Amino acid sequence: MRKVYLDAESVDLTLVPTRPEYEYVFIQTEGQCTAKFDLTPFADTKFKITIYIYAEGTSSVDCVCRLNVPQEVSGVEADVQIRSWPFDRSKIRARPEMFIANSDVVAAHGNALGTLTPEQQYYLATRGIADYKQLIKESLLNA
Amino acid sequence: MITGQNGSGKSTLLHAVMGRPDIAVTGSIELNGVSIIDIPVHERSQQGIFLAHQAPPAIDGVNTMTLFKEIQKVQNVAGTTGELIKTTKALFNWIGLPEGWEKRQFNNGASGGERKKNELAQATYLQGKTQVLLLDEPDSGLEQSSRQKIIDLIEETKNRNGCVLLVTHDLELQQRYSGNQLDLTRA
Repeated sequence: MRKVYLDAESVDLTLVPTRPEYEYVFIQTEGQCTAKFDLTPFADTKFKITIYIYAEGTSSVDCVCRLNVPQEVSGVEADVQIRSWPFDRSKIRARPEMFIANSDVVAAHGNALGTLTPEQQYYLATRGIADYKQLIKESLLNA
Repeated sequence: MITGQNGSGKSTLLHAVMGRPDIAVTGSIELNGVSIIDIPVHERSQQGIFLAHQAPPAIDGVNTMTLFKEIQKVQNVAGTTGELIKTTKALFNWIGLPEGWEKRQFNNGASGGERKKNELAQATYLQGKTQVLLLDEPDSGLEQSSRQKIIDLIEETKNRNGCVLLVTHDLELQQRYSGNQLDLTRA
């Protein structure tokens, strides 16, 4: 499942994951966005959620993705990943949170900044591309 | 064709022609009699210089098809999005890249050979616009059958009066193009 938010202001999602994979994309070109994810899986659920955040200009995104596994829920395998691309003077605050009360749970999380290395920028330039910001935005929109 | 020992500067020469910012150049580099020394890399590319990299990077977050769309736009290649998708799928199939390659993030999880094939696919896509084709060990990591595709690419560029600078350790390619050889000695 994939969902794209363009210049959202407030997103508050309570999710009981039943699918193996979820992707949420935030494209923020102006204003402020607050995104809250609350994930409460059933027992024996395996899922991955990836949140992509692109921000440009002076926009900002504040994102929290919380995984709740109560004591009575076992066998959960969860992977929570956040990838952020802050451009210009934008700000992105993103964090995955895990509240796990059962010991029979496999949970992974990641929070990465998606900047391009000088080598990658040079590569794109050798293809004639100078505006890689636009490329990242298009990639997230059209993936 | 450019030959020389490891570290003699073969790849550096190609990157200097491409305009890599961290390579200091003394002297001049001209394209069609006009100096390009002050022209940035992306503009050299748009003027028809194509570099097939020896070790192309993976770019996480950049979708392969979207990259081709952007290349089509900045290089002014004619065609609708539908035509582009058809063309690139056919190219990837012809070069031997796996099904669904266009949907993947650029070179993500790709082997060295697949990355080389991706370079050849891009070179073939832009061959009608390429004046100077820079090939940095295009054959390394590729199976024998891909060599003919490299030869076709070189011949096609030559037939359009384009220029090809080839760096290779492949004996067959070296023999084939031994007539115009620049041997770089270690500095």
